[in-house]
Amino acid sequence: MAAAAVWGTLRGVRRPPQALRRGLAKPAGPRSVRQLREAEEAGPVFQYVGKAAKRKDRVFVWGFCYSGALGVPSFVKPDVGWKKPRRIQPTPYRLETEEKITSAACGYGFTLLSSKTADITKVWGMGLNKDSQLGFQRSIRDRTKGYEYVLEPSPIPLPLEKPQETRVLQVSCGRAHSLILTDSEGVFTMGNNSYGQCGRKVVEDETYSESHLIHQLKEFDSNVVQVVCGQDHSLFRTKKGAVYACGWGADGQTGLGHYNITSVPTKLRGDIAGVNIIQVSSYGDCCLAVSDEGDVFGWGNSEYLQLASVTETTQVNVPRYLPFKIGKIKEAACGGTGNIVLTEEGNVFVWGYGILGKGPNLIETAVPEMIPPSLFGWSGFNPDIRVAHVRCGLSQFAALTNRGELFVWGKNLRGCLGTGRMEDQYFPWRVTVPGEVVDVACGVDHMVSMVKSFT
Amino acid sequence: LNAAPGRAPRQHVRFLPAPGDDGATGLVAARVPVLADHPLVRGPRFRRLKMGAGHRLDVKASGVFVLGIGHGNKLLTDLYNCHLTKVYTVGGLFGKATDDFSDMGKLVEKTTFDHITREKLERILAVIQGTNHKALLMHSNIDMKTQEAYELAVKGLIRPMGKSPPIITAIRCLQFTLPEFQLEVHCLHETQQYLRKIVHEIGLELKSSAVCTQVRRIRDGVFTLDDALPRTQWNLQSIQNAISDCQLKVKTELEKTLG
Repeated sequence: MAAAAVWGTLRGVRRPPQALRRGLAKPAGPRSVRQLREAEEAGPVFQYVGKAAKRKDRVFVWGFCYSGALGVPSFVKPDVGWKKPRRIQPTPYRLETEEKITSAACGYGFTLLSSKTADITKVWGMGLNKDSQLGFQRSIRDRTKGYEYVLEPSPIPLPLEKPQETRVLQVSCGRAHSLILTDSEGVFTMGNNSYGQCGRKVVEDETYSESHLIHQLKEFDSNVVQVVCGQDHSLFRTKKGAVYACGWGADGQTGLGHYNITSVPTKLRGDIAGVNIIQVSSYGDCCLAVSDEGDVFGWGNSEYLQLASVTETTQVNVPRYLPFKIGKIKEAACGGTGNIVLTEEGNVFVWGYGILGKGPNLIETAVPEMIPPSLFGWSGFNPDIRVAHVRCGLSQFAALTNRGELFVWGKNLRGCLGTGRMEDQYFPWRVTVPGEVVDVACGVDHMVSMVKSFT
Repeated sequence: LNAAPGRAPRQHVRFLPAPGDDGATGLVAARVPVLADHPLVRGPRFRRLKMGAGHRLDVKASGVFVLGIGHGNKLLTDLYNCHLTKVYTVGGLFGKATDDFSDMGKLVEKTTFDHITREKLERILAVIQGTNHKALLMHSNIDMKTQEAYELAVKGLIRPMGKSPPIITAIRCLQFTLPEFQLEVHCLHETQQYLRKIVHEIGLELKSSAVCTQVRRIRDGVFTLDDALPRTQWNLQSIQNAISDCQLKVKTELEKTLG
């Protein structure tokens, strides 16, 4: 050190003391392999997710917002004064929920979400509540009155005997009534009962808004396994394979052999007497039932050629067997004017009236037409893509593939398709959802989907 | 090329003086080669060759690279307008993220990757394929409400026939041994750096990070690896053979697509 200092002074060069010396910059240039390897080994390793990370369950909603059915209050009443209320949510929007939602149903302007939890709150509702289809939602401002529009998923109090043991299996919504299915305490119905669709006697001039009445139905031949709401009627499917119906019957949708209203759930006869039914479906005024042997039966409205393959009449009030030679049927779904079925091989067939999914030229057909699987992503490169589920809204259809992709088509009423565009879609179109879609519920002008995240 | 036997020289008729029988000079017609066609006068036949390049292949990538010679350059523009898909094998490595998405870049981050399984990767690839398929239909500029759009969509023939952002038509996983993996990508209008970016984004989606180790083009429209000439075969004979083999393929493809 001293020698260096002496040397510096001898040469006449003034050097700054060691502490203040600035290092000379190293020349930049393409890094050699050795430099790269050293820099790599010196870096810290970050861990974002561990080996046992589970996939998260999410709920996505899209469609018409003003009714509050999407459950996001800032769409209807924005938090900031300068923002305008959003009329339509054209693409999937994430809805935060407290629990994992196992079943969802979209009615005409309202939505029900339910979870299989053992907590006290098992069902949440949002949207229109003018007929108490979401139960009684007590208003904070006035404790005697209820809300007409519910903007956020609000818990629905159910009169359960064992609230911490019973689990809610499924929910279903119609035009102004809703059904909640539990595993041990029967079916709870609420909402409009002017046609007996809630399963209780019709009371003249009853006011349905702000009503606390939730009816419980228990008298069936065995446990109810599936509940389905049509527009103004209700269908119940029991474990033994029988189907019960109540509600409006002017189009024969109750299938009981007459065109009057029924206020007590009654068993259906006709072609399904004695047949083990594994699935029922309805949304408008037409109903379809699938048996365990792959046959499909239909009854109800046939003005749009839904049942024209067996009869010329426009209303069918007894379940009729539909002789389609398309293979064993696994699942069926009914819309307002069109029907869709899924066969065991994974093929999708549509018939009825409206935008059926085979281009703008096919408007109506009485015989089921197959939708080519290449529209669902099937190709020589991906030969094992199959449609796993089919769902129907009032004038739109949805199909879920085994890869978790959601395809929609039909009339794009107020943005309900979720494609991001406002135009009608004449053939199946993918909806980009950030996750694997497990189930979807279609309504008139909005849709709700249950999604699992990717990783 | 210049050493190969060239065209035969043109012949023309000239009247040459020849000795007559009586001592008077007469003219005799004779067919002689034109002096201007003589190789020593004309010089070598080929001094320059016009060469054109097909779709770009950058320095860090390898694979099939299409070139056109002379009159073949006109076919190059036609092939470009066909908008055919190209196929790449892309190799990736989990656990690292670099600034230029390849393993020769400056390290940005290191992450763990033991939670990644083949099933998760395939799920991400399915979603990439789905969104790109949607982009394919949207950028093809066809009105979705027409019957012909429906028919083309059923056959799978909808393709953007003009400028469009890079679109991946098909992607699948060929090999998966942690930390390395290999993908086969069919794409349109892409650059190799875009493919490296896709590898990086796959790493991000899987909550880890990935860099691209290899990009190799194995197919460019009608030309596959079998038609391509490796470095050892860059001689006149193999080039001529390759041109004659591909001629028919190129012609049928152009007729099919451009009509």
